[in-house]
Amino acid sequence: MPDVALAAKTVQLKVLRYRPGQDAEPSYGTFEVPYTDDMSVLQALQTIKDELDSSLSFRWSCRMAVCGSCGMMINGTPKLACNTFLRNLPKGPVTVEPLNNFPIERDLVVSVGDFVKKIESIYPYIIPKTPKTVEEGPYLQTPAQMAAYESFSDCINCMLCYAACPQFGENPAFIGPGAMALLQRYNGDSRDGGQQKRLDTIHGEDGVWSCTAVGVCSEVCPKQVDPANAINQNKTNSAFDFFLRFVRKDAR
Amino acid sequence: MSESRPYRRPIDPKWWWAPGPYRAYTLRELSGVAVALYGAVLFAGLICLVSGPMAWDSFLGFLRSPVSIVLHLVLLAGVVYHVKTWFETLPKTMPKMIVNGKQVPATEITRKAQMVAAGCSLVLVVIAAWAFR
Repeated sequence: MPDVALAAKTVQLKVLRYRPGQDAEPSYGTFEVPYTDDMSVLQALQTIKDELDSSLSFRWSCRMAVCGSCGMMINGTPKLACNTFLRNLPKGPVTVEPLNNFPIERDLVVSVGDFVKKIESIYPYIIPKTPKTVEEGPYLQTPAQMAAYESFSDCINCMLCYAACPQFGENPAFIGPGAMALLQRYNGDSRDGGQQKRLDTIHGEDGVWSCTAVGVCSEVCPKQVDPANAINQNKTNSAFDFFLRFVRKDAR
Repeated sequence: MSESRPYRRPIDPKWWWAPGPYRAYTLRELSGVAVALYGAVLFAGLICLVSGPMAWDSFLGFLRSPVSIVLHLVLLAGVVYHVKTWFETLPKTMPKMIVNGKQVPATEITRKAQMVAAGCSLVLVVIAAWAFR
């Protein structure tokens, strides 16, 4: 950690602060942080917390873009603070804000409860087509069958896609890109038989139909999951299901 | 007692014109209006054709007017932009294409689809030029 007092070069961070006990609404706090070439925005925030203001709150864990904890708005774009390096940002102050479209709990920490409920709502586990016993052996899959869903399994739940989605901003009940990527991860799995069950959870305005294919969710995804693809594929599935529901064998 | 008092920041009402991908999205969707308007022009022509020779002649007169030529140039630019961006969005709306166990990259799907669209347009222009020679 660089020494604040001896730093030759500094960078200014404008951090949106919100302390629920004392602030009626968020406001910016400005910090001069010692700059080094290899410094990430997360390290800059850690320097602030360690040496300038210990009350600053933010989430982080792995420091290597795996855990998805440190998502925040950096100069207005949703990014992971751990793999955003100060040297790659334009000169001048760096603005750091909590993720857009989420209620702010404190400083850079947002509420994740609704997102977790959405993840839970889409049956995020394999529902076997025909359950097998251990003696009957494993469920086999070809590389091509795996390629059909594999990228959707790379999601780290960082919620950057939700912060980028204006339709989620307009309608917080919208299931949103991340949960839909996870849905497609299971619906696209050749071993899975829960497609209809999941499809039934995503019809309507709060399901896939809030999406207008803005597509920025896929652009900001740090893992190239392409949630926009997951949603738009399922618009087709939802539309087919609307017309075919009367002729389905298991129609209710 | 919980101190939690979540603060919801309002969404920027002008998000659709924010520079970068949001503005590109708005322009892509707006260019669809050009397609609709061009369809309306064709439909008006069809109605004039049904209404008799007088109406048809006045429609042809409108097509030859400077206003119509400017309108058609603007609509052509809009339609070309719409075709380009529509096929850029195409890979996001279709199931993943797996060929020989590997996923076909989105850029390749876009490029090939745009080439087919350009080819079809060219064939149509050639047929039209041949028919009205």
